[in-house]
Amino acid sequence: MRGLLSGIAALSLLVACGGASGGGAPATKTGEDIILGAPLSLTGSSSKEGALAKQGYDMWLTWINQQGGINVKGVKHKVQIKYADDQSKSDISAQLTQSLITDQKVQFLLGPYGSGPTAADAVIAEKNSIPMVEGNGAAQAIFSKGYKYTFGVLSPANKYLQGVLDLAATLSPKPSTIAMLAADDSFSQEVAAAVNDYAPTKGFTVVYSQKYPNGSTDVSSLVAAAKAKSPDMVLNSGHLAEAIAINKAAKDLQLNAKLFAYSVGPSTPDFVNALGKDSYYVMDGSQWTPQVKYKPSFYLSVADYVAAYRSQFNSQDDPDYHVAESTAACLALQKAIENAGTVTNADKVRDALAALDVMTFFGEIKFDGRGVNVTKPMVVEQIQTDGKHHTVYPADVADKPAQYPTPAWSQR
Amino acid sequence: MSLLVQQLILGLMLGGVYVAVAIGFSLVWGILNIVNLAHGALVVVGMYATWYLFTHLGLDPFLTLPVDAAVLFLVGYALQRGVINRVIRAPLFFTLLLTFGINLVLINLFLLWFKADFRSVTTAYSGAGLDVGSITIPYIRLAALGIALLLAGAVGYLMNRTRTGFAIQAVGADKDAAQLVGIDLRHVYALTFAVGAACAGVAGGLLSTIQAISPTAGEPYTLQAFVVVILGGLGRVSATVVGGLLFGLIEVLAQSQVPGLGAGWSNAIAFAVLVLVLVLRPQGLLGRPA
Repeated sequence: MRGLLSGIAALSLLVACGGASGGGAPATKTGEDIILGAPLSLTGSSSKEGALAKQGYDMWLTWINQQGGINVKGVKHKVQIKYADDQSKSDISAQLTQSLITDQKVQFLLGPYGSGPTAADAVIAEKNSIPMVEGNGAAQAIFSKGYKYTFGVLSPANKYLQGVLDLAATLSPKPSTIAMLAADDSFSQEVAAAVNDYAPTKGFTVVYSQKYPNGSTDVSSLVAAAKAKSPDMVLNSGHLAEAIAINKAAKDLQLNAKLFAYSVGPSTPDFVNALGKDSYYVMDGSQWTPQVKYKPSFYLSVADYVAAYRSQFNSQDDPDYHVAESTAACLALQKAIENAGTVTNADKVRDALAALDVMTFFGEIKFDGRGVNVTKPMVVEQIQTDGKHHTVYPADVADKPAQYPTPAWSQR
Repeated sequence: MSLLVQQLILGLMLGGVYVAVAIGFSLVWGILNIVNLAHGALVVVGMYATWYLFTHLGLDPFLTLPVDAAVLFLVGYALQRGVINRVIRAPLFFTLLLTFGINLVLINLFLLWFKADFRSVTTAYSGAGLDVGSITIPYIRLAALGIALLLAGAVGYLMNRTRTGFAIQAVGADKDAAQLVGIDLRHVYALTFAVGAACAGVAGGLLSTIQAISPTAGEPYTLQAFVVVILGGLGRVSATVVGGLLFGLIEVLAQSQVPGLGAGWSNAIAFAVLVLVLVLRPQGLLGRPA
């Protein structure tokens, strides 16, 4: 009996081998798996954004493994991503990054969610000489320390509201005055400083600029003070909760500006769900929208990306920009590994990242000396009166003209 | 000038919110000697209750307030009787730890059920207001102030005019003596905590019309309730009302009326005033000397 079994086993082995060699010479060989590590906020205060980032990583992971893996000099390497939950905390994120490198033996890193954890993890990447490509930390402070192994595919913080100002300069009647409300964290302050510097060059005057404590629940007195200056534009750089609070206070106090734009918040479905019709006309600077018209040189087109997202996650929603920027980080890393022609030499991959210049569905990815993607523009999107987000600037990627000026609250 | 008047009005209305949040906190602290670190999370329960009733049943947010109070009353009673009562005679540190833990559990339950999404209650009349010259008085905030004062009046009446209130006060004054005259200690403890939680529920309902609702939205309110109670003084409803309104005014004026300093300093100024009060009048502005 035993002899029969081993005989069958031997025979089937023989058939299997014969089948493989007889099936025509494969174009590429298969190499060892490439192991990537990603600390992500799967619980804690950024758990929503962390989950979106994971969707972005997983989309690329599915796609690349369907292709057989990353093609390095004719050898295809499948990819694994090891996730670790950093609970939205910077210190835990740094710890986990180290343990991913030492215990899980990850070869390359994908970034965590948020500027805080990204800054903490960049130190670990640097210390271990492991390249980290991130798509969810936009504060330039991350890149001002001279690190060589951290690359961000995002447009940096100072670009967030520049597009809105560029757009405003083309509108008629042209707005002239700005009230700027900014939270006191480093990202929001970078956005605000850039507005204060950039506005005069476009012929705008900042008539009111105020900093408030991060996480403020009541901003009505600031909105009242802004109203006293009757600004044409109300800009905010802060967070979703504050953007909602400012919009509510603006309505409560009848602050009728021609244009409202908030750096973070309006792009999320939450903003529209929470405010309903009061969210109409509000603009934001966005890293990416599903309407942009870039012509990618590899991976999916924008339309295919949206379709792939819907089928993979069984959703009717468009992918949020958090998803797209995370996928883009994977694409940059993939191209760099291909260009470097090695999976084991991390320094060569780093050099390939520094030299990278590719067009993706997310826009052009090309890093400056600090590792910041300064080439890709921010787009401006607006929640229009059909209750949907539309891309309104720059004109060559926009799908609708801006609805302007915003009517007074009493006339909505 | 009109801006200053506008700011004063906004400050009073913000103070009204603080009064609503702090009343229950003050009651629980004053009678049970529990600094309830889960108070902000209880406020958030009220927010979600109002949001749910408004979104799914179309109930007006102000009509949901009695429901919020009832739900939180039950939650509070169960929480005190079932959990907190076990450490009620232990040192303050244990109740701090326990309520901190309850706070974490509640926040994570919210995350589980409601995700980290931001929600808001936006009614047809939100944004409507009374215009007097260049000054705007939003109706919703005005109503919130009025209801906060009514709530304070109701708690004051309960404490000073009813048998239940006397029993609660007796327990607060001397629990052993209260037990000797036949007061059911466990029931009164739970009742006090339940009334405190019900107040938090009403505060949450009011807040849901003013700000965005998220699992962690209650965090700042535990701290603010703490400050209001210290500022006004422990153990009297009127002290909490004065403390709350004053703190609202200080915050708003510090945000906008201090020349040369940005709103980023408003917290620093508000807490500097608090420290000043603690140095000059440690029992709070209206508190009884210890």
